[in-house]
Amino acid sequence: MALFPVQGIVEGDFVVVLVPVDDTDLMTVVAEKIAYHGIGKRVAAQDRPFKVRWNGTVLADDSTIATTGCAPMDVLEVVYA
Amino acid sequence: MPRLPRADWYDLTRDMNWDFSYVTEEDVFPELLSNGYGVPKQDWWTWDEPYKITYAEYVHNQAGKDAGLFTVNNVVGRSKIFENLEPGWMAATLAHYGAIAVGEYQAGIGEARMARFGRAASWRNMATYGCLDETRHGQLQTYFPYQALNKEPRLDWAHKAYHTNEWGMIAARHLFDDMFTANDAVSMAIQLTFTFETGFTNLQFLGMAADAMKVGDIDFGALISSIQTDEARHAQQGEPTLKILVAAGKKDVAQNLFDRMFWRAWKVFALLTGLSMDYYTPLEHRTHSFKEFMEEFINTQFIDQFRDFGLEAPWYWDQLLNEMNWVHHAYHLGVYYWRPTVWWNPVAGAAPAERAWLEEKYPGWNASFGKYWDVMGENVRDGHPELTLPETFPVVCNACQIPLCTPAGYAAGYLSSPLPLLLDLDGRRYTFCSEPCKWVFEQDPGQFKGHLSIIDRFLGGVIQPPTIPGALAYMGLSPEECGQDGTNYAWAYASAPVAGGVGQ
Repeated sequence: MALFPVQGIVEGDFVVVLVPVDDTDLMTVVAEKIAYHGIGKRVAAQDRPFKVRWNGTVLADDSTIATTGCAPMDVLEVVYA
Repeated sequence: MPRLPRADWYDLTRDMNWDFSYVTEEDVFPELLSNGYGVPKQDWWTWDEPYKITYAEYVHNQAGKDAGLFTVNNVVGRSKIFENLEPGWMAATLAHYGAIAVGEYQAGIGEARMARFGRAASWRNMATYGCLDETRHGQLQTYFPYQALNKEPRLDWAHKAYHTNEWGMIAARHLFDDMFTANDAVSMAIQLTFTFETGFTNLQFLGMAADAMKVGDIDFGALISSIQTDEARHAQQGEPTLKILVAAGKKDVAQNLFDRMFWRAWKVFALLTGLSMDYYTPLEHRTHSFKEFMEEFINTQFIDQFRDFGLEAPWYWDQLLNEMNWVHHAYHLGVYYWRPTVWWNPVAGAAPAERAWLEEKYPGWNASFGKYWDVMGENVRDGHPELTLPETFPVVCNACQIPLCTPAGYAAGYLSSPLPLLLDLDGRRYTFCSEPCKWVFEQDPGQFKGHLSIIDRFLGGVIQPPTIPGALAYMGLSPEECGQDGTNYAWAYASAPVAGGVGQ
């Protein structure tokens, strides 16, 4: 396990935020960690599941930072499915 | 003894150019401090300022200006004018003093460099006055707030801000170091005096002076009006420098210098002036929107002047026009949400009447930006103002050092992607908010690549503990100094969100 900084964007938000995740986090956890800083604070919550998108590709829920090959400070988007 | 008319002796006394015999031209004007771009020295000797002044005239004029200014300051200091300023205007003045005052001294260093390394004696003469000007501005803009410290202790940020690692000041220093402290005299004449002072300080100083008078802040209005009279004079060092470069076939050099600094100046003015004009100035005193000011003073008057010299609008012109619609709205959201990281109390400026004005000036504002204020206002009304405060940091651009707001441009329909731009160079990752910022960086990577943004410092272990309180302490912000909502959330209770807004 290692702390892993990423640049997070929540769909509909106005800013890119710094989010520390763990390289063993599942994408569902990564999504929650990024969404925490935007949804319900600046972006209205929607009753839909969200996913993590990286370089234009939606990542599988059961993948991790380590298995996807993300680099530190890569940009991860949280988008509604 | 009869005195000669000025015209009979002026040229002789200011044109002390000569050929060097004991040292080389390169020794006197090292490229690092005075890049002549290959223009022959005799060409530089034709440098002719459009506005002439002698030292005696200068001293006489400045003494008169100061006498008037200090009279106003003395009278206002005994009144209750300061105490009665509206919260938004107070935010604008505190932001201005911190961002500008000590930077004026730094500009004095730049002028001193031109006073020594300017390529013509006439230019060095003008720059000497410029150095005196900037010293005056630094003194005035630290003295005036000092006089009111008993009324607002955070006015000490007029002096303190520049000596801290507050994120906005890192952005300001990064810009001003590039523009003058770490610049050569010739490039500086194009980038500081022509691009920045001729183009942009009019916007900040004339615009804010007019607004200051309308809100009744005659002290601040008189101060910055007086400063602008100096700026208008010494800014004219740019024009003759530009003419010589163009006449010598160095149009591409001038264009490049201009394009680089015009974009950088735009970003900082969007942050500083954009917020002041469209959010901090009380609604009843606003005459123009920030976009309207930009269109009139910068995009029309200044660019027309620029074209008169045979140069073109920057290559990123369409992107600039695009950002004028949205970027400062995003910056305002960021400054408000991350308000503990600034030394003034940001007002939201998002009460119904203010939102109606924003919608009128920026059609679509309610749908694109009002939606964020809807969520924050609802959280406040639900008794959770803590949800309008940050628990992490925004990532900042490695060129302008301002938070990355590309998602706002995308969400508002102005950008095709919310993603920032990345650059991996020499084993390090750099992030940029826009193509022009990335382009600025890539024009001279050696100038920028060693700099650590506030986020780089956070990740690199420079900021300890790596927490919000640790970062605030690193920025020099004690809990008492951290910004708070300027109206104690009155905006959220003003009434229900306006018709046409999103999220109702």
